[in-house]
Amino acid sequence: MPFPSTAPLAVSARNLTKTYWFHEKAPGLSGAFKALFRSRKKCIQAVQAIDFDLRAGELVGFIGPNGAGKTTTLKMLSGILCPTAGTIDVLGHVPHRREKAFLKTIAFVAGQRNRLFWDLPAEEYFHFCRVVYEIPDERYAAAKRRLVDMADIGDILTVPQRKLSAGQRKRCELVAALLHDPRVIFLDEPTNALDLVNARKLREFIRAKARDGRHGIILTSHNMADISEVCDRLVIIHGGKIVFNGSLASLYERFLPRKQIRILFDGPWARDELAPLGDLVRADAQEVVLEVAASATAGTAALICSRFSIRDITIREVPLEQIIESIYAQPHR
Amino acid sequence: MKRHLRLFMLLCKIGLMRQMAYRPHFFLMVFGKVVRMALLLLFFQAVFLKIDRLGQWTFDQVLLLFATFHLVDYVMSITFQRNLSFHLPALIQSGNLDSRLTLPVQPLFMASLEHIDMMDFISFLPCLGLLGYALYRLDVAFTWLHALMYGLLIVNALVFLFAVVLIIATTSFWTTQSAGLARVFDDLTRVGRYPLDIFEGFWKFFFIYVLPLALISQVPSQALLGALSPGFLLYAVACSGLLAVIAIRFWRTGLNNYSSTSS
Repeated sequence: MPFPSTAPLAVSARNLTKTYWFHEKAPGLSGAFKALFRSRKKCIQAVQAIDFDLRAGELVGFIGPNGAGKTTTLKMLSGILCPTAGTIDVLGHVPHRREKAFLKTIAFVAGQRNRLFWDLPAEEYFHFCRVVYEIPDERYAAAKRRLVDMADIGDILTVPQRKLSAGQRKRCELVAALLHDPRVIFLDEPTNALDLVNARKLREFIRAKARDGRHGIILTSHNMADISEVCDRLVIIHGGKIVFNGSLASLYERFLPRKQIRILFDGPWARDELAPLGDLVRADAQEVVLEVAASATAGTAALICSRFSIRDITIREVPLEQIIESIYAQPHR
Repeated sequence: MKRHLRLFMLLCKIGLMRQMAYRPHFFLMVFGKVVRMALLLLFFQAVFLKIDRLGQWTFDQVLLLFATFHLVDYVMSITFQRNLSFHLPALIQSGNLDSRLTLPVQPLFMASLEHIDMMDFISFLPCLGLLGYALYRLDVAFTWLHALMYGLLIVNALVFLFAVVLIIATTSFWTTQSAGLARVFDDLTRVGRYPLDIFEGFWKFFFIYVLPLALISQVPSQALLGALSPGFLLYAVACSGLLAVIAIRFWRTGLNNYSSTSS
C-alpha cells in the first residue's frame, strides 16, 4: 500500500552534496616516505546533489553498493557531518548545528560501531542515556522494560560489554539508542551481526515503531529481507546519486517487469514445448522455473495448466537481489 | 549548568567503576601513584640538601610552587588532558566520534570529560596536604585577597592549559593524529614546576611571554606570597582568556571539518 503523502515531513534534503578531500599515497614503504613530503590531493564526490524526503510514520530503505554514499547521507541527515552544499531540514532543525532539541529527537545507530562502555554492563550506559537525554524516571522505566523485552537482553544486562557476542552488543546498542523515544531514527545496517531470529524480531519492532505514525525511520542494509519486509519506500543510491526512489512495486515495474512461474510436473515434460513460453531459469526432471513478462503471467500459467500434467504451480516475483544487482552493474558516474 | 554538573558526577562514577573493573590493575595503580608522588618529594629534598635557594626562591617557596604545579597538573590529568590529548584523536581516527556527536550534550564537554581518571585523585590528596605543609612552613601572614587571587589564578592556569591542549587536539581533525605534539607539550609543562628565575635571557622571556608556562604555578604562587604586580595579574588573565577564545573557535572549525570514517 503506498504511503499517504499527507503525513507531515520529518526530513527534507535538497541538493545535498558532500565532497571529501584526501591525500593519495603510493603503495609500500617508499610511497609512505614520499607522501611525508609530497602528496597529491584528490577529491571524492560522495554525495552529488540529491533531494530526499521522509514523512512521519514512513519507513524508507536506503540501499546501494559499498561506497555509494548511503552512510555519508545518513551522517549528514543526523548532523554528524556538515554538507558541502545543499540544505537539510529535520523536524524544523538544521542538523549540523547540533542543537540540543534536535539531538533529543533523533537516534543514529551505526552497525559497525560500539558506543557502549566496553568495561561495564549495558545497564550503566542505559543510565548514562537517562541522564544525558533527561528522561523522566517513569518513562525511562517503561521504555527500558519494553525495549529490553523486545531485544531479549534481560539476562545480559549485568554482563560487561567485552564479554558479549557482537549480536548481543548490537541489541544492547539498539536499546540504548531508542530509550529516549526518538522521532527520527537512522539505522545503518541494523541487522548486521544478528542471527535470523533476532533479525526478524528487530524487523518486527522497526515496523511497529513506524506504524504508530510518529516515527520516521531510514535504514540502510545489504540484507534485502530488511528492505522487502519492512520498508514503505526504497531509495537506491549509486555513485552518490539517487537512481531510484519509490515503492517496491514500482521498482519491479521500472527495472524488471517480469515474474517467475514455478511448475512441479506430475510426469515427463518437453523442453521444446515450454521454452517458447518464457526464459527457463531452472529446469530439473520434475521442477521448472520459467520467467515471463509480468503482463503475460496469468495467460502463460493458464496455458501451462491446460497443456501439461502438473502437481503444483506458483507465481512469484523475481528475487529483489537480482534487480538490485542489475542496477548496481549499470555505469553511474 | 545543573545538568552538566550531574553529568560530570556521573562520568566520575563511571570513571571509577571502569578503573575498578580490573581488580589487580586497580591495586597496582594505587601503589604506582603513591610511589610516584613519594619519589618526586624525595628528589626535591635531595636537591635542597645541596643548595638552599633555587633562583630567588627558598626551599619553602619552591615547595609551594611544586605543590601548586602538581595541584594544577592533577586537576588537568583527572579531567581533560588525556581526553583531549589521546582519546579525542583516537575517536577521530576510528570514527567513533560519530556517536558522541549525536548526544544532546556539548561535543566539547564530552570530548574533554568522557574519561575521568579517578586514580589521579590518589595523588591529588597528598598534593593538597603538601600545599598545607608548605603554607605552614612559609610563616607568612596571608590575606583573604591573596588566597582569593591564588584560587582564581589556579582556575586561570587551568583555562590556559585547557586552551593549549584543545588547540593541539583540534589539529587531529586535519592530521588525524596529534598525540605526538601533545606529548611534547606535556613534557614542556614540567618546566612549570621550577621557578622560571632559573632561566636567563631568551628562555626566561620565552616561558613568560611566548609560551607562558609561568601562568601554571609561578603566577598563582607569587599572588599568594603577595609578590605579584597588578600589571602581570592582568596580563595573566588576558593571556588565558584570549587563548581560550582562540581555542574554542578553532575547535568549532575543526568540528565542522570532521569527515568521520566509512562504515
